Formats: sequence, C-alpha cells, structure tokens
Amino acid sequence: MDPSARMAGNDRAAADVVVIGAGTAGLVAAIRLSQGGLRVRVVAAGHGCLVLAPGVIDVLGYAPERVADPARALAPFVAAHPDHPYARVGPDGLDRALAWFRETVAPLGYVGALRHNRLLLTALGGLRPSCLVPQTMAAGDLSQGGPVLVVGFHGLRDFSPALVAANLCAVVPAPGTGVAARAATLEWPGPSGDGRPLTLARRLEDRSLRAAVGRDLRTVLGDEPRVGMPAVLGVDRWQEVWEEMQLVAGRPIFEIPLVPPSIPGLRLFDLLRRVLRAAGGRLQVGAPVTGVRHRNGRVEAVTVARTPREQVIDTRWVVLATGGVGGGGLQVDPDGTVREPTLGLPVHGVPVPGHPRVLPDPFASHPLDRAGLAVDEAWRPVDRSGRVVALNLHAAGAALTGCEPWREKSGEGISIATGYLAASAILEEAG
Amino acid sequence: MMKAVETDLLVIGGGATGAGVAWDAASRGLQVVLADRGDLATGTTGRFHGLLHSGARYAVKDPRSARECAAENRILRAVAADCIEDTGGLFVSTPADDAAYADGFVAACQQAGVAATEVPVTEVLRAEPHLCPGITRAFAVPDATIDAWKTVWACARAAAAHGAAILPYQEVVRLMVEGDAVCGAVLRHARSGEEITVRARYVVNAAGAWAGRVARLAGCDVAVVAGKGVMVAMNHRLVNAVVNRCAMPGDGDILVPVRTVSVIGTTDARVEDPDRVQASADEVRAMLAAGESFIPGFTQHRALRVWAGVRPLFAATSPTSAETRDLSRGHTVIDHAAREGVGRFITIAGGKFTTFRLMAEETVDAVCADLGVRAECRTAAETLPDSEERHYYWIGARQAQAEARPVDDPLVCECELVSRQDLLVAAARRPGLDLDDLRRALRLGMGPCQGGFCMARATGLLHEAGHLDRAAANAALRDFVEERWRGIQALAWGDQLRQMRLDAWILLGVLDLEHLPE
Ligand SMILES: Cc1cc2nc3c(=O)[nH]c(=O)nc-3n(C[C@H](O)[C@H](O)[C@H](O)COP(=O)(O)OP(=O)(O)OC[C@H]3O[C@@H](n4cnc5c(N)ncnc54)[C@H](O)[C@@H]3O)c2cc1C
Ligand SMILES: Cc1cc2nc3c(=O)[nH]c(=O)nc-3n(C[C@H](O)[C@H](O)[C@H](O)COP(=O)(O)OP(=O)(O)OC[C@H]3O[C@@H](n4cnc5c(N)ncnc54)[C@H](O)[C@@H]3O)c2cc1C
Repeated sequence: MDPSARMAGNDRAAADVVVIGAGTAGLVAAIRLSQGGLRVRVVAAGHGCLVLAPGVIDVLGYAPERVADPARALAPFVAAHPDHPYARVGPDGLDRALAWFRETVAPLGYVGALRHNRLLLTALGGLRPSCLVPQTMAAGDLSQGGPVLVVGFHGLRDFSPALVAANLCAVVPAPGTGVAARAATLEWPGPSGDGRPLTLARRLEDRSLRAAVGRDLRTVLGDEPRVGMPAVLGVDRWQEVWEEMQLVAGRPIFEIPLVPPSIPGLRLFDLLRRVLRAAGGRLQVGAPVTGVRHRNGRVEAVTVARTPREQVIDTRWVVLATGGVGGGGLQVDPDGTVREPTLGLPVHGVPVPGHPRVLPDPFASHPLDRAGLAVDEAWRPVDRSGRVVALNLHAAGAALTGCEPWREKSGEGISIATGYLAASAILEEAG
Repeated sequence: MMKAVETDLLVIGGGATGAGVAWDAASRGLQVVLADRGDLATGTTGRFHGLLHSGARYAVKDPRSARECAAENRILRAVAADCIEDTGGLFVSTPADDAAYADGFVAACQQAGVAATEVPVTEVLRAEPHLCPGITRAFAVPDATIDAWKTVWACARAAAAHGAAILPYQEVVRLMVEGDAVCGAVLRHARSGEEITVRARYVVNAAGAWAGRVARLAGCDVAVVAGKGVMVAMNHRLVNAVVNRCAMPGDGDILVPVRTVSVIGTTDARVEDPDRVQASADEVRAMLAAGESFIPGFTQHRALRVWAGVRPLFAATSPTSAETRDLSRGHTVIDHAAREGVGRFITIAGGKFTTFRLMAEETVDAVCADLGVRAECRTAAETLPDSEERHYYWIGARQAQAEARPVDDPLVCECELVSRQDLLVAAARRPGLDLDDLRRALRLGMGPCQGGFCMARATGLLHEAGHLDRAAANAALRDFVEERWRGIQALAWGDQLRQMRLDAWILLGVLDLEHLPE
C-alpha cells in the first residue's frame, strides 16, 4: 500500500474482548476471559491504582463500625446500601471471585478468609481491618494482640518505628487484649540513600548488603515472637529476601504497608501482568481509549489514541474498567456535573445541583463520593430508566456507583468481584 | 499569684503592623513585649495576597496611598530584601477594559511618583505566554511579592535582638486601666489557659480586624470594619510578574506568582465576625471566571487551595453599606487620650501590608512623644535579619539548596523541597511549636500534593526527635487534615478532586487515620 494512504488511515486490530483499564478490575477480568479461551486486549492509559495500593485485599472493613466477619456483615450491609456493587455481587459471587483470585496469584501466597478480618498494623501504628493479605503480611494479624518488635531503618522517610510502637501500645485490638510493642532501627544498608522505600527494597536484594542488615537485625531482637518491618523486603526477589530475614530473626516477619508507591502493589501488578500474558492476553499501556463505534445497539469497535495515528480495535465485547475519580474513570466539572469521560456513559448517584458535594468534616461520608455507573445483572451500564446502553458493553471496578471504598475498606474486594463477575457474564454468553 | 512582667510598651497583635511596631520601638531603645493570641502572622497578614505594592493600584483612586506605597516599596526592598521576590508587575488592558482608563492611569502614576512605563504588547506576551493575546496595552511597574511569614519573623527577631519579648499564643483578655490611663493587660495562654499580667507604660493595639474588640476592653470605640477577600491558589506559576488589570480596582483582577503557584484575588465584602470567614463555592467560581479574562483557559488549570482574609478597614463613622471597597485603604493612628480621654493607649487601624513599616513609624513617633522619649526612627535604614546582603529571594533558591543538600538528608516534602534537616532545625529553633506552625515556617504541605504524603512523614520525624508525644502527633495529623480540608472543600472538581481522592486513599485508606488511637 502507498505509505501516505496508510498514514491517513488508521491501524486496525481485532479481539474478542477489549478491556479498558489495567487496574485490578481490568486485569482480573482480562485474565479470566483469557483463561476462558477468548482473545483479549487490555488497553490502558496508565497503570491504575494497583502500584499505589498496598496489595492487601479489603472486602468490608467498616460498616461503619469495624467489621470482624465480612461474610456475616454482608447481608445487613447491602440491605442498608441497596445500590452498592456488593448488592449485585452477593455472598456467593464474592466467595467464588476471591477463591479464584487466590488461586490465580498463588505465587504471592495470599492468606485469609471471608469469615475473618485480619487487623493489620498501619505505618502510623494503628490497626486496620483487611481480609486477604500476601504471604509476607500473613504473620501480621494483630486481632489477638501480643508482643511485637517494630523494626525500621534510619533515614527511611515513610516509616517511623518509634511512633508506630508508641501508637501500637495504645491500641485495643479486642476487649481485654493489647499489644506490647518495642521499636528498633537498623542502619540504612550501603551508601547513604534518598530515603525512598524502592531504593531500600533494591538494596535488600543485594546479598552482601542484606547480610549486613541481618547482622544488625540480630542485635536488636528480644523476646517478641514476631517482627514487623516496613514493606520493603525486595521487589522481584521478595521471596528470597523475606525468607532469609525470617531465618536470621528466627521468627515470623510481617511487612507493614507504606504510602505510595507501594512495593507489594508492584509485586501484585507484575504477577497479574505475567499471568495475563501466560493466558494469552495482551496488554497495551499508554493507550488511552477515545471512544467506541456503535452499531445496532452494540459496540463494534474501540478507538485508541496512538501516534502517529489512531488505532481501531474491532471487538465483540467491551469491559470498561477505567476506575473512579482517582483512576480517571470519572470526572467532575466545576459545576458539579459528573461525567464518565471515556464513553460518555450515564452517571448515577450525583448530588443534585445546589446541594453540597462535600461536607465540612473531612472524615464524613460526602454526597459526591458514591457517584458512578449503575449496571444490570450482566454488569452492563444502564441509563436513568434502567435501560442497557449497549448490549455488549460491561463495566467493573471503582467506576461503579454506590460505594466509598476508602472509608468502607472495600477497594480491591469490589474490583476483584466485579471484574470476575463481568468476565463470567461474557463467558456465559460466549458459551 | 499571677505571674507579672513589666515593660515600657505592650504591643497587641503579631501581624505585620504589630511586629513592625515592636521592631521600631525596640530599636529606639524601648523595652517591648509583643503578644498575639495565636502564632505570629496568623491573622490577616498570613492570609493576604502576597503583593508588595508599587502604588500603581491606588494611583487613580487614592493618590496618598499610592505615594506611601511607592516610598515603602523602595525602603522595604532595601531593608527586607530576603523576604521579597523581585517579580516586577504589569498592568494590562484586556479587551474588556476601557482603554481610556490607561491614559489616566499613567498620568496618576506619574503624579504619585510610581514608575510606570509602557511596554510593547508583543514583548509582554513573549515574557508572559499565558496572558490573553488580545491585550491592548501594558505597563511595567515595580510591584513585587513579599513573604509575610518571613517578614514578620524577621521583624520579631530584630526586635528580640534589641531586647523585646515575643509572646505568641498569648491572648489579651483584659486591659488594665488606672485613673485615666491604660497601664497593662492580662494575657491568657491559648493552650495552657495560664494567665500573666503585663504592666506597661504604654499599650499599642495592632490587632488588625480585631482592633475594635481590643479597644473595647479599655472602653473605647473604634469602628474597624472587616472586609473579606477571597483568594485562590492555582497549581502553576502561570505568570512571572504580578499581573493587574488596568481598570478601576474590582474583583479577581490581580494574579500574583508566589513561589511555585499563582494566586488570584480578590473580593471585598463586609463581614460581621472576622473569626468566621469562609469562601463559598460561588466566590471561587467567580474568581476563576475573573482569571479567564486575562489568562485564557484559566479555569482549566487546577485550583489548589482557597482561603479568605479580612481587611481591617477603618471607618471614621460606621458605614452601613455592604460594599467596603470604597473605604479608605489608608491607615489612622488613633490616640485614645484625645478621643475618649483614655491615656497611654493607641490603636493603629487600617493600612496595608506594604505600608506596615510606615504605620509602625508613625505609631512609635506618637508613643515616644507621649512618653517624652527622644529617639529617631531607624527602621528605614536598619536591615532586617537575613537581608543584610540585600539579595532578593528567587524562585530557584530552594532548588539550589536542595541540590547542595547532603545525600543523607532526604526530602520530607517534595513539592516545597523541605528536607529532614530543615524540619528538625526549624523544630529545634522554636520548641513547643505544633505541626501547623511548622507548616507555615517551612511551607510544608502547601504545594500541589497539599500534604497528602509529607504530613505523616513529618509527624514521625518530630515524634522521634522528641518534639511531639504520641497523642500530640496523632492530634496534629488530624488537625492538619481538617485544616487543609477547609482550604480545598470548595474546590472539589477536576484534577484537584483527583488529588483529594488519592489523599483520601492514603490518609483514610492506607493509614486509616480516622481510627488511630487517641
Ligand atoms: C493509594 C491507594 C491505596 C489503596 N489501598 C487499598 C487497600 O489497602 N486495600 C484495598 O482493598 N484497596 C486499596 N486501594 C484501592 C484499589 O487499588 C482500587 O480501588 C482498585 O484497584 C480500583 O481498581 P480499578 O481497576 O477499578 O481502577 P484503577 O486501578 O483506577 O484503574 C483504572 C485503569 O483505567 C485506565 N483508564 C482510565 N481511563 C482510561 C481511558 N480513557 N483509556 C484507557 N485506559 C483508561 C487507567 O489508566 C487505569 O489503568 C487503594 C488505592 C489507592 C490509590
Ligand atoms: C484578601 C486580602 C488581600 C490583601 N492583599 C494585600 C497585598 O497583596 N498587599 C498588601 O500590601 N496588603 C494586602 N492586604 C492588606 C494586609 O494584608 C493587611 O492590611 C495587613 O496584613 C494587616 O496586618 P495587621 O498586622 O494590621 O493585622 P493582622 O495580621 O490581622 O494582625 C492582627 C493580629 O492581632 C491578633 N489579635 C487579635 N486579637 C487579639 C488579642 N485579643 N490578643 C492578642 N492578639 C490578638 C490576631 O491574632 C492577629 O495576628 C490584603 C488584605 C486582604 C484581606
């Protein structure tokens, strides 16, 4: 073909399913669809929240009191929040999705059960509920209290063992229990650093630097049966780092999540990406979707902004997993209008004009927080009157209406369950 | 027994005016105590627009103010250089402005002694690419920006070097009157509640918008009207110079580059209670729309933070109208002996940040005359601490400092380039301070991330260094979140909301701040 004609046209590709977004919801849906034998392409503008989040799977942590048993709390919770994604997910859906997830990410050794929220130590020394955690955090369930040694590093800027231990001594995990915590600080390994967790994690992958840290660690050990350390125990070679440190300590070590960027989040993202590739799926990052082409009530193609020219992907199904306000899946205008900017889908749960969008108390439940997409039983976005927007367009993840995951502590739980179930609906139709 | 202190002069209010009075009086040899109910520079001074006026803004409407500003601008550049960034200023006629105003403006500037030179529009647009390409005329004036926090603390340090006592967090709750003169005050500590008495030969009321209340403690009536002004900080330095619209002063017609951000303002509306001012979402929208008239696409930029300040406008008689812009921006030294027969008591009311030194000079002249002290004002020639070299502050200064920083001194705040060492040094300099004081001292958490990352870091460091105990650390974090929320609540849209959501995930999600032990 004449090259100039090509330039003027566009790139064309085809897939069974285009998944828009590479956050938890998008990757979960894509993996499941690929495992089901469909040709999947994930197109994503960026990396999503996974690499920022601590890699723990919250299901339901507060409702609004702290939840001890998410399985039991689910029914009253959805009764009180009928628009919540969990109302559609249901206990059985959640169970299946989480079981599938644990199996899919087996190398990270997720532990936990829907019947029990673990109480994890935060980087400030508080306790926070979560449901499934990677192996490196398994020993960190403090719901029964007990003595803990909190170990940090000199100069690591997002972790202060002294403050963590001081707060930890003041928490009451359950009536009649407490935590006796002690703080210790190790030298930063190697030449002085920039204080960043990622730098430290890379240093710990170096055998000789790690040996020095191990020697240092031995000198601070006491009677405490377990040790908490910031989540910096290796990036790719975390298993080796974590196991060797435990060997040195002679007792379990658990990682404590830090603020972004998150090393356990990187590990999870990396694994999901590899699982997707192994299952035959494709991932394109840096590929923002600009729109879709409709025909007869169905989406027939997705357009992607690419230089030098736009790419068009013909497809049979689309999963929109573009996240919430944080991920770019929802946008709010100065006048309070909430838009789904990628495909222009109808948004539900928007505060009416003239009513407050946010309240004066930062910790309050803000009216704006629950805005998002509403879906039918096959996870397809619907308009105000409940009509499906397109027969083969599905949605999952943080873009859904009715939830405020950072307060409920339900983020990854919603993304995994809805991503899994949206994929299931497509697989069912595909037969 | 209540603790008692004796002094020559008690200054009430640690804004620019009060700090200026303390500096001036102390340098003339008076024994001075300066008290503020909060930290220094937390009243209007800490919430102003940041502009060291050239006088041009007042040239047409208030020539006397213009002349005063022009003179003070020159003096402060010499004595407070470290607090000033020499951005220069522009007056631009936008297509919406009456072009004829510009001619009158130039003439008025000339008469008031304000240097205003016309600059070719093409040249201006090259220097300020964000500016509306449709501007018809432009004038360069010697406007600059001035850091309120640095200035006030420099004055306080200069005063202290002359023997003054600086007492933040000490509220004047009673004025003591003996016979027909004020002879001191009772101060109450904002945190401990402990009271002390200060016996003073003279008292100056520099309480800004609160001056009416303070005067009433001595039975005097001062009609200070509080005029609220709203400002919005945008997350880029959209302009390099201070940009003013060349028109009759109105709402949202000045854009000031302040370090890494730019601040648009402002409004003017009378409020009853200077302690209760909030910017509404409508006012914010109006500000952004006003910005659009000289920076096309202004509303597309991310608004970072909104706040309001209260102008202390002095009315000879109480005005009734809601419009306060027409009240004089000039200042008045009120001698209560002459006015109400209450001696040894002066209120300094009104004015501007730019003229604080002049206001202080006139006030202390009156105090000295009354006390029979013969001493000349020295503040026009005495450079403030850190300004001795007469180098202006420049935007790259922090970056240069950060590059010279030892590698083992990691950054705590990436937006404002504050290192661990900066934080610990500042904390050691002022024992007993809280996170909020430090935030002002270092601009910690004032950049684009608005503290989402750095506040928890800073808290941990301060706890380790023994400056905050556990409960205080937790309370400081919660206070910080609440304080910051006040500044961003009205901006919940676009990229700012996206940042707010990320911060919610960090502070409420990952760190679960809400459920930390008390
Ligand atoms: C700091 C932080 C901490 C968190 N901590 C926890 C925690 O402790 N526990 C927990 O359970 N959850 C946590 N979460 C939440 C969890 O990570 C998210 O709720 C969840 O992953 C949302 O996933 P998502 O896939 O729906 O969206 P996102 O992760 O936001 O992904 C959206 C994806 O869509 C892409 N996209 C958007 N628009 C377009 C477009 N037009 N074209 C192409 N691609 C587009 C984005 O680039 C991105 O890849 C945290 C999140 C954050 C940010
Ligand atoms: C929106 C706005 C923008 C402005 N922009 C500019 C500008 O760009 N350039 C410029 O030159 N000027 C500007 N101004 C004007 C300028 O900010 C003020 O004139 C100046 O800061 C006033 O300083 P002050 O010390 O008199 O008052 P304040 O700074 O308010 O100080 C008064 C102090 O008194 C204290 N106080 C009150 N009651 C008591 C008590 N009982 N005991 C002890 N202490 C007490 C308060 O805590 C406060 O700190 C602006 C004003 C506003 C409102």
